[in-house]
Amino acid sequence: MTGKLSAPHAALLGIILALTGYITWSALSASNTLNNLIVTVPVAILIAVLSGVILFAAFRSPTPPEPDETSAVWGDLLLLSGFALFCYALTHIGFDVATFVFVWAGVVMSGGKGLWQPPLFSALFTLVLVKGFGALFPYPMLTLVL
Amino acid sequence: MIDQIAFSGAVSLLFTSFAPWMWVIPGLLIGLIFGSIPGLQISMAMAVFLPVTFSMEFLQAMLFLTAIFTGGTYGGGVTAILMNIPGSSSSIATAFDGYPMARAGKHNEALGLGLAASVVGAFVGYILLLLLIDPLAALVLKIGPMEMVVVVLWGLTLIATLNEGSLAKGLMAGFFGLMLSQIGMSTTGVMRTDIFMPFLIDGIAVVPAMIGIFAASELLRLRGGSYLVRDDAQRDISIARIMAGVGQTFKYPGVLIRGSLIGAVIGAIPGVGSSVANLVSYGEAKRKSKNPGSFGKGAPDGVIAAESANSSSEGGSMTALLALGIPGGAATAVLLAAFSFHNIVGGPSFIRNQTDIVYSIILGNLGQVILLAVIGLLMLRVLGMVVRVPLAYLVPSVLAMCAWGGYGITGTIAGPLTVAVFAGLGWLMRGSRYPVAATVIGLLLGRMMEGELVRTLQISGGNPLRYLFERPIALGLFVVMLLVLVGAPALKAYRKRKTGDIAG
Repeated sequence: MTGKLSAPHAALLGIILALTGYITWSALSASNTLNNLIVTVPVAILIAVLSGVILFAAFRSPTPPEPDETSAVWGDLLLLSGFALFCYALTHIGFDVATFVFVWAGVVMSGGKGLWQPPLFSALFTLVLVKGFGALFPYPMLTLVL
Repeated sequence: MIDQIAFSGAVSLLFTSFAPWMWVIPGLLIGLIFGSIPGLQISMAMAVFLPVTFSMEFLQAMLFLTAIFTGGTYGGGVTAILMNIPGSSSSIATAFDGYPMARAGKHNEALGLGLAASVVGAFVGYILLLLLIDPLAALVLKIGPMEMVVVVLWGLTLIATLNEGSLAKGLMAGFFGLMLSQIGMSTTGVMRTDIFMPFLIDGIAVVPAMIGIFAASELLRLRGGSYLVRDDAQRDISIARIMAGVGQTFKYPGVLIRGSLIGAVIGAIPGVGSSVANLVSYGEAKRKSKNPGSFGKGAPDGVIAAESANSSSEGGSMTALLALGIPGGAATAVLLAAFSFHNIVGGPSFIRNQTDIVYSIILGNLGQVILLAVIGLLMLRVLGMVVRVPLAYLVPSVLAMCAWGGYGITGTIAGPLTVAVFAGLGWLMRGSRYPVAATVIGLLLGRMMEGELVRTLQISGGNPLRYLFERPIALGLFVVMLLVLVGAPALKAYRKRKTGDIAG
C-alpha cells in the first residue's frame, strides 16, 4: 500500500479521518438537532467522499520514484519533537531556561558551527526575549533564572 | 455628502496645533513592532497603551490608537512576506505570494508592493468613510446573519482555488479546517468534544494554529539551508528595489482599486472585517487574473490584492464604530473604550453633534497613511535584515518566538501546544502537497459560518431560501457571488472555445 501512498500521506489521511470521525461522533452524541450538526455532518460526508477520491487517484496514478529523504525526514521529526517538548516545557521549567536550551540545541541541529557561538547567541536571544517580548505580555510568565 | 462647516472645523482642529499629531509617529512605530512580532496582536498593543491616553485630548488619543491600528495592519504583512508568518488573520493572503517572492530573492519588491498597496488601500478606505459615512452606516444596520452567511461563503470559496495541483487535496484541506472549527462548545451552547483538553472548550485558538501551520512547519522545511534568500547578491535591502516594488503596484490599478473597495465594504461588516476581506480580495484577483497559475508562486497582484483589502478594511471597520457605536472587532472595541474614557458615546448622535471631530479623526487617519509610507519605508531596512540572518540561527529563534507568540495569545500552555500540534500537521500536509492555507481558512471561517447559519435558520423559521428572497442585500450579494464564481469562468471558457473554433 505504501508503495503507492507514501507513509506520511497515509498518516495524514488517517489523522484527518480519525479526527473527523471522532468530532462527528461527539457532535451526534451531544445533540442531534439541526443547529448542532449544520456544519459537522455535511463536512464529514464531504471529507469521506474526498478521501475516497484521493485514495482512488493515488492508487491509479503511476508511482513516481521517490528520492531518498530518510535522513532529512528524521532530522525534521527530531526538531519537531524538540519543539513540542520546548512548548510543553515553557510553563513547566520556565520560559528562560526552556528557550535557552531549545535555541542552543536548535542552532546546533540546524548546522550552526562553533563551540561558543550557539550558546552565546542563545543566551543573548533569551535575554532579549524575556526582557523585551515578555515585558509586553499581559499574562504572568514563569521564569527560573531571569 | 460632506458638511462644509464641520469639515473646515476639522481642518482647523488638526492643523492649528501640533498636539494631535504628536503621538502619531510613536503610534505607528508601536503598531509596526507589535504587528511584526508573531503572537503580539494589534488589539493587544492598543489595550496595553490605552491607559496612556488618559492624559490626552480625545482627538490626540484617537489618532494615537488608530496609528497603532494602521501600523499594526501593515506590520503583520511584513512578517507574512519575510517569514511566512501572518501577524494576524488579516494578513493570511499576503503570505500566499509575498513569501514565495521573498524566497525567490524579490523580498525588496514584495515589501514595496505591500507598502504601496497598504497605503493606497488605507487611503481609499478612509476617503470612502469620509464621503459615505452616512449611507454606509445605514447599510451596516441592514446587515443581518443571512448577509454574513453569503460573505463568509464567498470567503470560503477561496478554498477551491487553493490547491497545489489537486483540487481534491485543496478541498480536503479546507474541509478539514472546517471540521476542526467544530471542536468545543457550539454557538448554541451544546458541548461537543474538547479532545479531553478543557482549554479547547472555546474551540481551537486560530492565531496560534495559524502560526504553527504556516510558520513553524515552513521553518522545519527550511532547516539545513543557508539563508532565506539563497542568492548572495539578492540578499541586500535595497531602497531602490523597494521603490521599484512601490512603482510596480500602480501597474495593477484594477487589482488595487478592487481590493481597496472589497476591503472597505467587507470591513464595515461588524464581526467579519479584515479576516475575510483579504481572502475575498485575493480570490477575486486570482479569478480575474490572466495568469491565475502564477498565484501562490509569487504573483505581485496577489500581494497587492491582499494588502490593499486588509488596509482599507480599517476605514470600513471605523464606519460601524463612528456611526453606530458598534465595535466590529477587538481593535475597534479598544477604540470604543477610549471613547468612554473621554465621556463620548459613538453613534448617530456623535456624528450629528460632533461632526467636526468625526471628520478630524478621518482626516487625521489620512495624514497617518502618508506618514506610514515614510515610517514604513524607513523601518523596512531594519525589518528586512531578517534575510541576512543564517538559517541555522533564524530557524530555532523564530520557532521559539512562534511558541512565545502562542502563549501571548492565550496566556496558557494551550497556545504553545496548539502551535506545536499545528506545526506537525503543517509539516505532514506540506510533505503530501496539501495547501495549509485552506485549512486555516476553514478553521477561521468555520465558527463564523456556523453561528450565522444557525441565526439565519432561527430568524427564517427554518426556511432560509424564502428568507433570502426577502433580503435584497443578501440576494444581491448572492447573485454577484454566483456570477463571479460560475458566470465569469463559464463566459471565459465559452469565449476561449469560440476563439479556438475560429482559429481552427
